Amino acid sequence: MNVVSRGIRNALRSPLRSGAIVIMLAISITLIVAMLVARSSVNAKIEEVKGSTANQITINPAGIRGGFGGGDPLTAEQVTTVTSTAHIGSVASTLTDQAGTDDTNLTPSLELGSFGQRMQRFETSTGDSNGPTDVIQGDGSSDSAPARPARTPRTTITGTTDANSIASDGSTLTLTSGATVDSTSSDLVALVGKTLAEKNSLSVGSTFTLYGKTFTVNGIYETGNTFQDSGIVVPLATLQTATEQPGAVTSAVATVDSSENVTATVSALKTALGDKADITSSAEQAETSVASLRSISSLATTGVVGATIAGAVIVLLTMTMIVRERRREIGVIKAIGGTTSKVITQFVTEALTLTLVSGVIGIALGIFVSGSITDGLVTSASAAPKTTQGQGPMASAGGMRGTGGPTQRFNQGLQQVTSTVTPQIFMGAAGITLLIAILGSALPAYLIARVRPAEVLRTE
Amino acid sequence: MSLEVKDLTKTYNASHGKVTALDSVSFSVSTGEFASIIGKSGSGKSTLLSLLGALDTPTKGEIHVDDINIARLSPHKQTAYRAKKIGFVFQQYNLIPNLSALENVMLALEFGGMRASERKERARELLTAVGLEPDQQLRKPAKLSGGQQQRVSIARALANKPAVILADEPTGNLDSETGKKIFDLLHDLSRTEKTTIIAVTHDLDIAGKTDRTYMLKDGKITTKRG
Ligand SMILES: Nc1ncnc2c1ncn2[C@@H]1O[C@H](COP(=O)(O)OP(=O)(O)O)[C@@H](O)[C@H]1O
Ligand SMILES: [Mg+2]
Repeated sequence: MNVVSRGIRNALRSPLRSGAIVIMLAISITLIVAMLVARSSVNAKIEEVKGSTANQITINPAGIRGGFGGGDPLTAEQVTTVTSTAHIGSVASTLTDQAGTDDTNLTPSLELGSFGQRMQRFETSTGDSNGPTDVIQGDGSSDSAPARPARTPRTTITGTTDANSIASDGSTLTLTSGATVDSTSSDLVALVGKTLAEKNSLSVGSTFTLYGKTFTVNGIYETGNTFQDSGIVVPLATLQTATEQPGAVTSAVATVDSSENVTATVSALKTALGDKADITSSAEQAETSVASLRSISSLATTGVVGATIAGAVIVLLTMTMIVRERRREIGVIKAIGGTTSKVITQFVTEALTLTLVSGVIGIALGIFVSGSITDGLVTSASAAPKTTQGQGPMASAGGMRGTGGPTQRFNQGLQQVTSTVTPQIFMGAAGITLLIAILGSALPAYLIARVRPAEVLRTE
Repeated sequence: MSLEVKDLTKTYNASHGKVTALDSVSFSVSTGEFASIIGKSGSGKSTLLSLLGALDTPTKGEIHVDDINIARLSPHKQTAYRAKKIGFVFQQYNLIPNLSALENVMLALEFGGMRASERKERARELLTAVGLEPDQQLRKPAKLSGGQQQRVSIARALANKPAVILADEPTGNLDSETGKKIFDLLHDLSRTEKTTIIAVTHDLDIAGKTDRTYMLKDGKITTKRG
């Protein structure tokens, strides 16, 4: 029988009251654990999203996004400016083009569809380069409109210095057969998407005509993305030469040496390129994408703090009530030689016992419900990422598409937050439980210290 | 000279001004003596006991117990003094309700510094000495009669072989027959244990049987006998 066992025994002195307090505290702790799990799961997701985008900066010529828009591509000089900017390690440059029936003997593997038709609705004779003003011609009679050729789907040709840049997950491009092309060369070699290759019965070693030249198939790739798998990848220089656009680039992705330098490099590039290019860093895009996750995270943090305060208040009120009730007992212990610190230890032990029992129940319950609470939080807050998913000309059918920026990749996985209970959460929850007991015991301890032993001689 | 009080004054700051509960009280009690203090309600009897028992510090004056002036002890030393040198017996018994009779005595032994392994045996001896049956020793205070509770409280007061036992109206809550038995118990103990006892009482019969009696009136000793 010592001060600790007396404290534990006192916790069971009034079973009904103790039971009620344990239930209330356990609910608070359940909430704390669930919020801690949600918070750490969401934070892990945020880190994952930010980490997966590395330190990339995307430079698009002003007005051009993938196959859309208008304006001039980046020039070789501008690309050199990017390459020579401080902190930039490597630059993957891409030039995209649409090859029509006049450009290639290949049959496109994408259906035109309503999207493709709409995209081509302004176009006239594909072979006529005279421009729109000459549309009405011939005998001059206004009612004899020229016969518009049938609209045809097209094949997207990507000239790139890094064939991996079209991989949908940002890693290495998967080749189902053959080998990759030397992206730095200007050889007439190509990687053909699986769907397009099947449509045209192409295999490694096959040849086809593009821009009047004969290309050899070096490899067949598969990304799992219908649009990409209907395209052709060639070395950048090859496409620049074939389309007579020397040095032209429609998109460049620069990798910065460290994430701390991304912001500075973005502004350096903006200064260097002026209004000729639109510069976005993947970090910024990731930041936008994870904004809703961040709000869940801060909501969860608020929840943890709130539930901790609630728990501490429960303990505080309970212990204050108990100390008031046992005022005479405290005086007696002091009168017969018990030190104030011993009495406080006894009462703190009592508070700890109640809190720990609640903690065990609460943590177990919290782990049990944390999965569904995390899901609930993420789903209810996921409206934001969903709406941004449609941004940009990234439709995947009909023949045109931007070079899918990293943004799309973030959004796909944003709702897949897996709630995991890590040892840190366990420790954190245990620590907070302890904190609740200590915070909740502080005022009662003060009240205990103030009980004068002489009070026991009072006969009220 | 076991206990000597000189010029003891205690003033309380009550809401309606200062109350002088004890006014320049001086007296002495020898080792092993049984002294009684009588006086009307509010005359300062409890205040005197609280000062003798170091439950409170006097406004003025000295209290020498075995040649130590306990009037000016630090709070920490006061606690140690109460644990080792003083045994209290209260009118309302003041046992810890959650602990058995045995554990109540063991609690005092713990505060007195006795080794944990020896406490139970010593507590049993004490409870047997005050007349509590073994099965009664295991009961909580609520399951004991007033007289039995007061016996436990006397065993607790004796636990650490104190220099002085201070009893504030120990028979005040008991019927006259039980009160007499409790008084006889205290009386016998003062003989066998050679413990100094100072008891506050209303009962003039009881007071008449003690070695000496002091009468308090408005915080002053007016009469003494013996
Ligand atoms: N803590 C206190 N604060 C203020 N006044 C007190 C306090 N304790 C006792 N008194 C006053 O001191 C006087 C003596 O009280 P007390 O020693 O309890 O008398 P008794 O025990 O003889 O009935 C009374 O007037 C009482 O109201
Ligand atoms: Mg009194």
